[in-house]
Amino acid sequence: MKKSKGAILIARNNGRLDYIKQAVFLAKRISHYIQIPVSIITDSKDYLLDKFDSSVFDDIIEIPWTDKNNYNRLFYDGSLSHKTAPFKNDIRDQVYDLSPYDETLLLDTDYIISNDLLKSCFDMNDDIMMFKESYDIAKSRNEKEFKYVSDYSVDFYWATVVFFRKTPENKIYFDLIKHVKENWNHYRRVYQIKSELFRNDFAFSIAIHIMNGFDKGDFVKPLPGKHYYTIDKDILWKIENDKMLFLVEKEKYLGEYLPIKTKGNSIHVMNKFSLERVIDKVANNE
Amino acid sequence: MDERLEKALDFSNYMVTLNNQKRMLKEKYNESLVYFSSGCQFTVTRELITFVGFLVDKGNTEDIVLTDDNDLPAKIADLEKFYEDILDVYFTASNRYNSAYEELKKNRKTETLVEHEEI
Repeated sequence: MKKSKGAILIARNNGRLDYIKQAVFLAKRISHYIQIPVSIITDSKDYLLDKFDSSVFDDIIEIPWTDKNNYNRLFYDGSLSHKTAPFKNDIRDQVYDLSPYDETLLLDTDYIISNDLLKSCFDMNDDIMMFKESYDIAKSRNEKEFKYVSDYSVDFYWATVVFFRKTPENKIYFDLIKHVKENWNHYRRVYQIKSELFRNDFAFSIAIHIMNGFDKGDFVKPLPGKHYYTIDKDILWKIENDKMLFLVEKEKYLGEYLPIKTKGNSIHVMNKFSLERVIDKVANNE
Repeated sequence: MDERLEKALDFSNYMVTLNNQKRMLKEKYNESLVYFSSGCQFTVTRELITFVGFLVDKGNTEDIVLTDDNDLPAKIADLEKFYEDILDVYFTASNRYNSAYEELKKNRKTETLVEHEEI
């Protein structure tokens, strides 16, 4: 029997950032570059249906709106501006159960697809893949925080993009992430994480360490390509097809930037405010 | 500002931008050197090309086991086709890298470094 495959995006607006807008934009790019159906998990279905073309989605999976478990965090918009907003990141561990697909590519809405590399996941033998190796396109900053969960702790894996098949082992893994989340204060202490803020990257990484027998291992294989990213102190300036233009924070010169252009690289754009401005520009030109 | 310093700072910005673009071209090149076969990922290196070419020359062409990027074994049913494919991946990626790099070198201003179509 042919296995169903598709991408899943999670969009829960927080009053400052429009994750639905980002998801609609990304869904179009996934359809263009990877050619798989895309479903959305959201607590704002009415807003989606009212304001956007929902036909880009194969399925809209509605979850109840809640402000439980929301933490406030700073979201930068370049190095000189920031806003505080709720960080609604506590649903990712449920994707295994919510996904309608046998083979799922889970993506953050700010991961801008610009090539077809991730298409190959569906042809690979590995049942779960994530990015471990990452690359800051500015290159001048300290990348240590994305190598290990903390100074004396375990390897860092990015939960930004996750490919998984529905297998008994992966069910155990996602259930374990739920357990880690529910007992976050315990696990963050065991793994020497100072911040109380729950982060999916950390929970996914801790669960991988446990699944590997409390050791390094290959329970999770690397995704094809590399996880390129820009931090929220950089600014996305322009997107034109597979090309993106960034202004990256100049090291030690607050408020000064250098341009970097990319072509054909999928990139995690952490400055969501600048991403939304660019999405608006692209939409106005369509 | 002293004009001499201003010119030097402009050039400094140009050099940083040029080096950043060179870096991103190299990254793009490395990403383009990936080949998928038998459910496994292979990065096309000169070593892989030479080794596979050697096996093919010696007549080892069917059901050959290679190790992939994760050091896991992969049985390649038709090694001659695998060889042709990795050569194609290598030449396509290298030629694109070369043309983009040549274009990059022509740009003498910071603005044009990030405006050119090929880069």
